[in-house]
Amino acid sequence: MTMVEYFSFLPFGKYAFYVWSAYGIAFITVATLFIRARSNHKKTLVALSNKYSRQND
Amino acid sequence: MWKWIQRQASPKVFYQTCTKLTPWFLLPFIVLGVVGLYWSLVVSPADYQQGDGYRIIYIHVPSAIMSMTVYGIMAIAGGIGLIWQIKMAEVVAKVSAPIGAAFTIIALATGAIWGKPMWGTWWVWDARLTSELILLFLYLAYMSLNNAFDNPRTAAKSSSILAIVGLVNLPIIHYSVKWWNTLHQGYTVGTGGLKDPDMGIALGIMFLVFVLLYAALVTIKAKTEVLTREQNSRWVKDLVTGERS
Repeated sequence: MTMVEYFSFLPFGKYAFYVWSAYGIAFITVATLFIRARSNHKKTLVALSNKYSRQND
Repeated sequence: MWKWIQRQASPKVFYQTCTKLTPWFLLPFIVLGVVGLYWSLVVSPADYQQGDGYRIIYIHVPSAIMSMTVYGIMAIAGGIGLIWQIKMAEVVAKVSAPIGAAFTIIALATGAIWGKPMWGTWWVWDARLTSELILLFLYLAYMSLNNAFDNPRTAAKSSSILAIVGLVNLPIIHYSVKWWNTLHQGYTVGTGGLKDPDMGIALGIMFLVFVLLYAALVTIKAKTEVLTREQNSRWVKDLVTGERS
């Protein structure tokens, strides 16, 4: 059984594998961009905060 | 006008503007994203030739257009940084690169997935596909060059020149389906390619979603970049110690 046949129970039948994997890849890429942007911002704030604390000591 | 631009270009004001703008881009992105997906996957009808397989267009076309648009913004911002020495333009150019690269990856990946059921192959060395792949390499080269220097100003200068030279690829991508006999289909938008009005609405909403996505990500990433660059400024110290206390 091919992947196309395996996923054909989903909406869009014989195209389900292609449509859902395209949307899935786009979703994962966008989610990764947001998560990385947010975590980098938080990491930068923590790193700068630690730097300033060391300078004050 | 020039004074207003100069004021906006100050790192502190730029940071504050980004902070204010982020929710204005993020919330419409989420709301329109849900509406756009509903319109793309539920409301718009199946295509008379491609069936439901054509629904990849709602991701593929906006990401492909944005991959080129973001490159244009990156090169223009880089050029502004080079000519007028505006540091915040350099910041916009730098933070745009990974976002543009991600849009290019989405366009290439969804294009390959769409190609398999329609053309019978994931990839062909077609003019449109190859020039879009070159765009991805340009983004990667820009990011590598930008990270190769310790001094952000030197990095911005070198990578901006690369970005400006790479602009030549944009008309090649756009006109590739016209200039060469390619396997990739011709223009869909504005040529009556979308037979049902709901298809046009869905594509319009999804394009807006990608624009808002870019704007939201730029404002978030630009804030981080400004903090890093201006870490020795008094206002950053006050902001960071204030935020964490």
